[in-house]
Amino acid sequence: MHEIGVRETVQFAGLTFNWETLVMTWLSMAIVLFIAILATRNLKMVPTGAQNIVEALIVWLREQVNTNLGPKGEFLCPLIVTLFLFLIVANWLGLVPTMASPTNDLNTTFGLALLIVLIVHVLGLYMKGMHYIKHFFQPFPIFVVINVIEEVAKPITLAFRLFGNILAGEILIIILLKLVPIWMPIPSVIWLAFSIFIGGVQAFIFTSLSMAYLANAVKDSEE
Amino acid sequence: MIDLNATLLAQMLNFLLLVILLRAFAYKPIVKMLKEREDKIANSLKQADDDAAKAQATLKEYQDQLATARVKAQDIMDKAEKRANEEHETSIQATKTEIEQMKQNAQQEIQRERAQAVEKLKSEVIALSVAAAEKIVSKKIDADENEVLIKEFIDQLDKDKIGDLPC
Repeated sequence: MHEIGVRETVQFAGLTFNWETLVMTWLSMAIVLFIAILATRNLKMVPTGAQNIVEALIVWLREQVNTNLGPKGEFLCPLIVTLFLFLIVANWLGLVPTMASPTNDLNTTFGLALLIVLIVHVLGLYMKGMHYIKHFFQPFPIFVVINVIEEVAKPITLAFRLFGNILAGEILIIILLKLVPIWMPIPSVIWLAFSIFIGGVQAFIFTSLSMAYLANAVKDSEE
Repeated sequence: MIDLNATLLAQMLNFLLLVILLRAFAYKPIVKMLKEREDKIANSLKQADDDAAKAQATLKEYQDQLATARVKAQDIMDKAEKRANEEHETSIQATKTEIEQMKQNAQQEIQRERAQAVEKLKSEVIALSVAAAEKIVSKKIDADENEVLIKEFIDQLDKDKIGDLPC
């Protein structure tokens, strides 16, 4: 049981890294890849077992992408799928004893949120050009203030929502284990179950909001 | 606790790496397979539709053929019946003709027989008359002369009647 809020850091090339977050991220990535490769190792026309689950997930996310981003957003589908799979695995990883969620570190969530917002703006500029810049000044030029605040708020809210939920869940698990005697596991179990639910919901919210932001940049305005 | 450091950049890179790997190892094969399955299902459905249409066409063809055959059979039967009727008619006609012929023959036969009988009766009557006359006159006359005499007598009788009997 580590001390809450204290992170071991390592120095590399003059930069500071949170070691545990990195290790847990790589573990999550490995799990995601392992599941994906396991499920797609032997793809069959008539799906069985794990293929069914991964397939259903991908089909569902593709539908989400298609309805939100339109046909132009098809190429963003792998990003969305990866985002969802990585977040759900990362969120649930912290529920395993001695493990921690990579998403309990603001660096992870803020990194992902910044990445999404960066992609949104780059794609918006690339696909719509001046039209994209113009839409910040609509309906009146003075609205640029509100629009910029909104754009800045997007990654911050996205990052802090996920970070807060996951970190709070983990902290409460630790606290419950410390407060309640070991022969009385019911509160811990209930909170664990709730955390599983929260992990799924937060992964979905993060993915959905990312999709909504991306839709803003990719979708034609007249659509 | 909420200190940002270089981990942020590392996480960005980590995530991008995961996107690339997952796209290569899972997303692309699955989408390809989904597309293949979609195509296969579309093909199968199309094939099924085509087969059904083909079956329908074949059925139609058979039904047409059956109808034609039925009409033909009816035609043949009608013709056969007609011919049979004709033959029947001809045969009846032939029989009738034959009967007519036979009737005529019979009548001719009767006529001839009657003539013969008349002839025979005549000669017998002549003989009887001669005999009677011989007895009556008790005188022997030349037979030939006698016969001529009596023939004359008989010819004078009604040609169609022998005595009082209608003939």
